[in-house]
Amino acid sequence: MADWLAQNGLLLGLAALDGLSNAAAIFMVAVGLNLVFGVLRVLNVAHGSLYAIGGYTAASLGLLLAASGLPEWFSLPLLLVAALLVGAVLGPPIEKLLLRPTRRYEPVLQLLITFALFMILEDLQKLVWGVQPVVNDAPLRLLGTVDVPFGADVIPFTTYQLFVLPGVALVTLIALAWFLRRTLSGRMIVAVTADAEAARAMGIDAGRVMLLTFTAGAALAALGGALASPTVSLVPGVGAQTIVLSFAVVATAGLGQIEGAAIAALLIGLGRAFAVYFEPELEVVIPYLIMVVVLLVRPQGLFGVVETRRI
Amino acid sequence: MLRLEGVSVAIEGAPVLREVALHVPPGGRVALIGRNGAGKTTTLRALMGLLPVQQGRIALDGQDAGGIPAHHRARMGIGYAPEERRLFGGFTVRDNLLLPAQVLRLPRAELERRLGLVLTLLPELRDVAPRRAAGLSGGQGKMVALGRALMVGTRAVLLDEPFQGLAPALALRYAEALARLREALPEVAILITESSPALLRSLVDRSYVIERGEIAPA
Repeated sequence: MADWLAQNGLLLGLAALDGLSNAAAIFMVAVGLNLVFGVLRVLNVAHGSLYAIGGYTAASLGLLLAASGLPEWFSLPLLLVAALLVGAVLGPPIEKLLLRPTRRYEPVLQLLITFALFMILEDLQKLVWGVQPVVNDAPLRLLGTVDVPFGADVIPFTTYQLFVLPGVALVTLIALAWFLRRTLSGRMIVAVTADAEAARAMGIDAGRVMLLTFTAGAALAALGGALASPTVSLVPGVGAQTIVLSFAVVATAGLGQIEGAAIAALLIGLGRAFAVYFEPELEVVIPYLIMVVVLLVRPQGLFGVVETRRI
Repeated sequence: MLRLEGVSVAIEGAPVLREVALHVPPGGRVALIGRNGAGKTTTLRALMGLLPVQQGRIALDGQDAGGIPAHHRARMGIGYAPEERRLFGGFTVRDNLLLPAQVLRLPRAELERRLGLVLTLLPELRDVAPRRAAGLSGGQGKMVALGRALMVGTRAVLLDEPFQGLAPALALRYAEALARLREALPEVAILITESSPALLRSLVDRSYVIERGEIAPA
């Protein structure tokens, strides 16, 4: 054991750091998926495509910025701009034109519609950005690296992945929890999630809450993609990979759990990173293994609440 | 205040209400009596705009309800206490009471005045106000649902089977609360559904009977 640690200690540290930044991006996507499911009761399969489009848009805007000769540090706030742009442009039409008119039909129809949308957006993305990898790591290079002390050694790691990615995820987590608990708009979202009909009878415009929640969820997914974009090269299929990962996170955490989604994202992000370094052939299966083990023990998810009693 | 004329409602293709008529005058206390499955809840949900009306007309305060979205009822002064209580379990009782008034963006003073009024009419809510609604017993929950309906129901409240499943002592307290309500707020119309007419005799001044989706004056 001691020998193994001496040999692999650094890898262990590197895996932990990688897992953390990985988890941050998945969290952003999963938390949006969770919110949207809670309020609209539709499992949005196209949610991963919004992540991909957020990533591509951020990379394209970043490349434009580099060509324009404007200061390089603009590339950081540009990530947020890209996410808001994608959320605002794609969110409202999807909710209004596809989901709202089909709300009174069986839930499976809406599931199929979001699946169709996923396929359309995947092709649209190939049409716009092609199939060659798109890379813009300007934000990553801009901030350089830090030496993370690890035992007697140091691990050089990018500042962006160490601080920016997890930092934004943490701020999102805290802001979202505060918003849902402490503001009237947030409480209206919670009320519609709990019981849309009762919320309507209490004067809440549930349709409007759904539109805003869907748009916010789309922006969160796009933000996850935009934040992750400097650390990866974007290729077709990244949307599909993201949606299955965030399904696993949401199922592991339990529906309606914001903090739970953060912990589940951390578990799955770390699990994947450790697999990449030590048992690469397990990388793909690890998230589902974690999900299955959790659901076997707690079918409602790690933090899910069993239905409140009615009588 | 509330009027149904020749109203038919179907749920998933099955007719539930057949050309029913019912009238609750301003400040009136009206009971709708019928067995389980007769269509009592459907009548109230149709009034609240939560179900589409196939045929006929619903009028609220003389206005045709057809063009009024469900969530505007609260603004019109109509409160609703559903049969299953349907409280927001994660919120405290106090927050459940305040939510509909906050959604209407009532001024702080008006909010406090209404909360004070509700707590005067339903003093048992004072003790449970800081507790989470999910932890309440059925009877306490019914009281909270009544209080929540009264927070916005300045013109009318719709109470769906409030006595259903209540222990006799609690049912008595609930009836006393309704009597106090009648004293304190005579202008608020009440439409109350129940399966047994005996409980309501002293509380209402008009009754309808509903049977298999058809309503007749009692």
